[in-house]
Amino acid sequence: MMISRFILAGVLAVVVVLGGTSTYMYLGSKQSRVAAPPEKPTAATPRAQATTLPGAIYLTQSGAIYRLSAGRFHQITPEAGWSQPSLAPNGSSLLAVKYGQYWSDVYVLSLFGTPTRQLTSNQARQGMNDPSLNHWSFFPRLSQDGGTLWMTYDGLKCDGCFDVSPAVYSMPFGGTIRQARAWTDGGYYSGGDQQPIPVPGGVIYTKYDYGSKYDAKAENKLVGMMWFSNRAGAYGRELTTPSEDCRTPSLSPAGNQAAMICTYGKQVSYLTIASWNGSTLGPRTTILTNQMVAQPTWAPDGSGIAYLAPAVPDGPFQLWWLPKAAYTAPPPSPPPTPTPGGPHNGPLPTPTPPPPIPPVKPIQLTTNNGFDATSPIAWLG
Amino acid sequence: MAGAFAYFLPAAKAAWDTTGAVVRVTPSPTDLFTTSPTATPSATPAAAITGAFTILLLGSDDDSKFYSDHVLTQSMILVRVVPSSKQVTMLSIPRDLYVHLSTGGFGKIDGAYSYGGAGAAIATVEQDFGVHVDDYIWVGLLGLIKLIDAIGGIDVVTSNPVLDDYYPADIYSSWPYGYERVAVLAGPQHLDGIHAMQYVRSRHGDLQSDLGRSQRQQQVLLAIRQKAKQLSPADLPAMSTAFGGELKTSIGLSKVAQLLPLAGSFDNPDAIRQIILASPYTHGGAPDGSLYPDWGAILPLVHQYFP
Repeated sequence: MMISRFILAGVLAVVVVLGGTSTYMYLGSKQSRVAAPPEKPTAATPRAQATTLPGAIYLTQSGAIYRLSAGRFHQITPEAGWSQPSLAPNGSSLLAVKYGQYWSDVYVLSLFGTPTRQLTSNQARQGMNDPSLNHWSFFPRLSQDGGTLWMTYDGLKCDGCFDVSPAVYSMPFGGTIRQARAWTDGGYYSGGDQQPIPVPGGVIYTKYDYGSKYDAKAENKLVGMMWFSNRAGAYGRELTTPSEDCRTPSLSPAGNQAAMICTYGKQVSYLTIASWNGSTLGPRTTILTNQMVAQPTWAPDGSGIAYLAPAVPDGPFQLWWLPKAAYTAPPPSPPPTPTPGGPHNGPLPTPTPPPPIPPVKPIQLTTNNGFDATSPIAWLG
Repeated sequence: MAGAFAYFLPAAKAAWDTTGAVVRVTPSPTDLFTTSPTATPSATPAAAITGAFTILLLGSDDDSKFYSDHVLTQSMILVRVVPSSKQVTMLSIPRDLYVHLSTGGFGKIDGAYSYGGAGAAIATVEQDFGVHVDDYIWVGLLGLIKLIDAIGGIDVVTSNPVLDDYYPADIYSSWPYGYERVAVLAGPQHLDGIHAMQYVRSRHGDLQSDLGRSQRQQQVLLAIRQKAKQLSPADLPAMSTAFGGELKTSIGLSKVAQLLPLAGSFDNPDAIRQIILASPYTHGGAPDGSLYPDWGAILPLVHQYFP
């Protein structure tokens, strides 16, 4: 009798331990995984769809630059504050920004991520404890001839005020910041002029400012607008309206179309394209409305647009691909050909309508990554 | 049973510590403007979840510069939820609003919590704005950061670059009076807790100062609400551990359970109304850099959306 009691107690103890542990593990398995950290792009993860993009794409995650080529990611810099890559016009090197504690600098890197030259020195001198003596450089770009560095730079800060509105600057490639010229004034407590894209005859950039300054009907809140300026110090010209709230311009390889992100004042981001004739943007066509799209980038061969967007609502940003067919009208169907064999005496047969063309959808290229959606994508053809 | 008990023990402890807080509403000595003199928010039985309700959200700098429980509320947002029509209205109250405090005298509204805790903050809002507050939620700086990290970050379209050369370096610093430079770039992005905090807290680079900050706070609140729809009850232990005393609320556990599914049913972003009390509702010139309210303009607006 005593033995059986001990056995029963032991069995019950085992049941309690096993049941409790398994219940604990079961409940743990029911967590939503919303806080799971993104994987490094180089981790072998199954792709949502097997699509290999042409050339090499450079993009950023967690302070490292990655190159995607032939369907594989390669980490080309350590996780050390690297961001915002762009390509030299001849495709021989990269420009990128490297963040320090309170500053950021522009570097030249080889296509394999080795820094070869530092182009700015924005860290305050040793011993200067005031953090405002440092500077930011963002969104570096080289002119088509490779001779001019364009960037956003907070060089117009005033003493004794809080305004840190960066302006669009140009400086000789390899020159010093003293040779830099401010093309814009950066605005006043607005967030400044960002992401310059040099174009023939000037520069396109995103100006952040209070919408009511430009449109009496607009709300008095900060919005993004595409602007164009054709010379240093000129006032510049609006390309989009405050109510469109557009940003992050990207020009097509032929230079006749612009892709951008517009929010229309909401917590959404629409992928919008428009023709560009060198001085104005044409009618807008919104081609994606159901994703939080960022950093649209044209394929060098014109075959489509890559962009960043979450794969699940409120998730980290993944790489997506939108084939050209998704935003270009299909070619007109050929006219019906006459029936061979001479004149037809009877009633003409009803032509069979062509089958409807299925809509082309964006293709998700990565699943578990977390790309920096404020960092432009560079694409080498 | 034992496993479930062990699994939810941290959540239960945190819930015991942080929810259902009894609020002693501090009545105004003169009861000016009071429309609900018997208001005792926590004592009000939880209305059926089909009925409309109003929550006061409070956010505080609670770093080591301040004594605990004597902190200012840099963020005060009244939220009205109407489940039947799936409408949400968020009204940001400027922290510098010069009002009649429920604890006596006049001052900036952000001081009410400092003088008398959540009860005084609620009573001040109730008497000055003529609304009834059903419940409150208070979150400290670190609490917001931990909350956003615990839910894996949020997706926000940051409306403008937030660049601040004098952002307070007081969260992870042993010297809470220092400054640091921060830069949150504009556009759609996935923000972790620390960068979301920089986005909603910075005010030096915005001409609208606290009002611009209020707009950003509402953006982040909506993003948190959106992300919360993906949570499951099994996430509660991790969430409660993350808070670590940085959250207080008068909402009881039973009401939390009722609210979670309700949050998921609000899908239409157009049904969310955001109100900022900028000019003409407020204007400068009040003592200590505070803002004078134009009650003649504010009260009709408030009564329209917070009946």
